[in-house]
Amino acid sequence: MSVSAQPTPYPLLPLLGRGLAAGGIAGLASGLFSLLLAEPLMDRAIRLEEKRSAAEAAHSHAGHSGHSHAAEAEEIFSRGTQHLGLVVTAVVAGLAIGVFFTLAHALVHRSAARDDGRGWQRAMGLAGAGFLALSLLPALRYPANPPGVGDSGTVAERQGLWLAALVIGVLGMVLAHQVHQRLGRAGHGLPVRQLGAAAAVVATLGALFLLPGNPDPVPVSATLLWDFRVLSLAGHLVLWAVLGAAFAAPALRSAKAAKREGAPESR
Amino acid sequence: MSPHTVGTTVVPESAAAHPATVRTRDWLIVAAAAIVALIALYAVFIDNGNLVSATGSYLHEFSHDGRHLFGAPCH
Repeated sequence: MSVSAQPTPYPLLPLLGRGLAAGGIAGLASGLFSLLLAEPLMDRAIRLEEKRSAAEAAHSHAGHSGHSHAAEAEEIFSRGTQHLGLVVTAVVAGLAIGVFFTLAHALVHRSAARDDGRGWQRAMGLAGAGFLALSLLPALRYPANPPGVGDSGTVAERQGLWLAALVIGVLGMVLAHQVHQRLGRAGHGLPVRQLGAAAAVVATLGALFLLPGNPDPVPVSATLLWDFRVLSLAGHLVLWAVLGAAFAAPALRSAKAAKREGAPESR
Repeated sequence: MSPHTVGTTVVPESAAAHPATVRTRDWLIVAAAAIVALIALYAVFIDNGNLVSATGSYLHEFSHDGRHLFGAPCH
């Protein structure tokens, strides 16, 4: 590799390595968090769903009207395998998000100096933007639902809406960043710039609510639903927080080492 | 104090020290990684039997719990 580390602001390939490593760690942390806290809830939701569909079957003697969600899941994988699947899914998602985090970092901060001591702010700021764009804003429009909610007839439609929400979230954060930068170039202070960015975020939320709502009925208790949605958002938060911190950590260490070596001005 | 004021002093040097071909290669590698990442995300969050479907939606069922928790639509 002919990447010379010294003069370039953020050489791309080491950045990609850092993004992948941080993404993998973040996915694992989020997956284990959900395994410990959310899986008991999901198991309970699936048991309740089985009870519900059994009661339905007993009522209508016409027999099985469509595949039950839980029964179908049990046909292919055991719940234990699906628990493992949760962690694997989270790690794969973390690695993939790590790649896009790297890409976004390289684009947004392409002119930033590598060791100016603001690496932590940059990484955490970007992680916060990612949380807003891909987790919080889409979740406010289409909150996560526990097993037992979801009609297989509408899944394609719901996937389209969900992807549209993710795209709108990302575009909204790009807009917020642009507003923030442009107001700054126009000579406005931090309050005006932050209010402008906040207005862009609110407008994004408004745009999300122009999309049609989730068409499925939600036949589970409010308590179960709330707990599940809070844990889902918490899992997202763990992913983004660990991603930002793990991405910034190597830069912090090298900055500290440079200080210890007594370099008067590290670049 | 914005990163941009710092950047302007650094960019000319880096452009000279870092040949454009290396930078293009690096961007291509990152672009390839992004494509692989998109396919991976499709596999874990979207696929319902198009990628691997011997007896049904293997990927869907394996990533079932993750889909619910990350808010991806599930049947």
